[in-house]
Amino acid sequence: MIVTAIRPRMPGTLPTLTWHETRRYVRSPVLLLALALTAYAIYDLSRGVVADVDELPTYPASFLGGFGMVAACWLTQSMQRSAEALNVAPTPARVRTSALCLMAAVPFACGVLSLLAVVMFRRVDGDWTEGAFTTTDRFAVLLSQVAIPALGGPLLGIAVGRWVRAGWIAPALFLIIVGWVMLANGLADTYRNSLPVLLMRMFAPFTFFTTWTGGGVQTWRGSPVAFLGWQLCLCALAVTVALLRDTDRSRRRRLLGCLFVVGALAVVTWALAVTGGLHHAVITYPGGLPQPI
Amino acid sequence: MIRLSDVGRKYGRTWALSGVDVDLSTGVVGLLGPNGAGKTTLLRLLATALAPTRGQISVFDLDPQIPEQRTAIRRRLGYLPQEVGFPRGFTAFAFVDYVAVLKEWTHSAARHAEVRRVLDLVGLSSIATKRIRTLSGGQRRRLALAQALLGTPELLVLDEPTTGVDPEQRAALRAVLAEAARTSIVVLATHQTEDVAALCERVLVLDSGQIRYDGPVRELTRHAAGRVWLADQPDPAARASWRTGTGRYRNIAESAPPDVELVEPSLEDAYLLLRAGTGTTPHSQGIRA
Repeated sequence: MIVTAIRPRMPGTLPTLTWHETRRYVRSPVLLLALALTAYAIYDLSRGVVADVDELPTYPASFLGGFGMVAACWLTQSMQRSAEALNVAPTPARVRTSALCLMAAVPFACGVLSLLAVVMFRRVDGDWTEGAFTTTDRFAVLLSQVAIPALGGPLLGIAVGRWVRAGWIAPALFLIIVGWVMLANGLADTYRNSLPVLLMRMFAPFTFFTTWTGGGVQTWRGSPVAFLGWQLCLCALAVTVALLRDTDRSRRRRLLGCLFVVGALAVVTWALAVTGGLHHAVITYPGGLPQPI
Repeated sequence: MIRLSDVGRKYGRTWALSGVDVDLSTGVVGLLGPNGAGKTTLLRLLATALAPTRGQISVFDLDPQIPEQRTAIRRRLGYLPQEVGFPRGFTAFAFVDYVAVLKEWTHSAARHAEVRRVLDLVGLSSIATKRIRTLSGGQRRRLALAQALLGTPELLVLDEPTTGVDPEQRAALRAVLAEAARTSIVVLATHQTEDVAALCERVLVLDSGQIRYDGPVRELTRHAAGRVWLADQPDPAARASWRTGTGRYRNIAESAPPDVELVEPSLEDAYLLLRAGTGTTPHSQGIRA
């Protein structure tokens, strides 16, 4: 006689699956390339003087965040080929998605290590090179430019990979984000105090806050701390959107609620990023006080 | 142990399956039918991959519509879909190992032993470390079957398990499925009537989403007795007629002409007659109007 008792879920599926996904992820050629390029950029950093706070962090963000996103998206999509067989396994889609999201801890850890390396190895001429920022703001800039993109990129890749089957979507998204960031920051370089440009610059997963110009460092408008909050909201949105795929009705309702709350928080942090910080761009020189520009 | 009551499934405006009433218990049940008859839909319903549009399905007294109970069914299920794609870069072992994790085999030593066991069952243990992309079509099919066999499931739902598999391996797989059927319910859809004849005690013939026959294989074959004959020429009145390897024609018809050389009908003959709508003497549970 067949026993019909409902067996409880076996403990340890999530850690085991996370381990499996992480192993696959770190073997991905795209991520290996990202790690190698990041390591080289940091090595290069240890040899020279960095002009301003923004200069080097771009590399870990592009490599760990951008390439990490592509690798995570392709990894997520890879299992869609076997979806019909895998979808009837007792491990639900949300556990599989959670394992993928936990896997993003690897590039995040690499991002944190990169951040430590940036802080340790960079040689700056003085406080003025970091713009007119408080210590908290400087820390927020570094976090938002090095560690958080390394987490957010892969999470975005997972969310996209869960919903879109086309393999080209991840590289295309990478190019769109890079294009948007370059456009917004290029415009900011010209229209430093323009509100629309500020809105555009803050409505991105990555942005610059300073730039080197004519022997001084310009500090642009916007709050680095609030921008960090905005980025964290984007990370949470990516996880929620990824979990929404193939979920049952009751969970979908809760996730949609969560999506609404996180979305509202994202709007608030974005608004704070726009309205906070300096109200006018300034420039700092060696030994001088910040001057409005 | 599995009960389908008035089950139907609609895609858009088309009923792929309608009014299906079936009880299934331990043993091998074969599903026969032309393309588009609803075989895959029925298997997907049994495998909890699809929900019925109407009717009730009960698997081991559990309701697949309720998420917790559906998960409980899935813990006792092995499913081989009609087409299984494989992720790039995986070896045969790694793929089955991954599925085993999803089937909650969390202890690595036990899981690896189970993966080796199922790969051995389907004759792939010697190429377990090979990349899937280097495997032949038949080997991939066996690999897909291996993942379904993980954990000796109580319900095995197999959609064309022997397609593309060579005769030797097919015989080996039949042995595996026959062994599994001693303790499990095995439901297999196929176009290979010889597989059904060799393996199944019971056969369901589907046509246009409805069950045309449900009963023992022997009984279906018996319906064709006296209606299959060999002749030097094809019979114009025959439902089907083809030239055999001996140069003579095998004819199938509602009734054989007098003084012909009648031959033992096969399941395929009976199936063709049934498809032609000439089944007679309905079995108590057999041919349905």
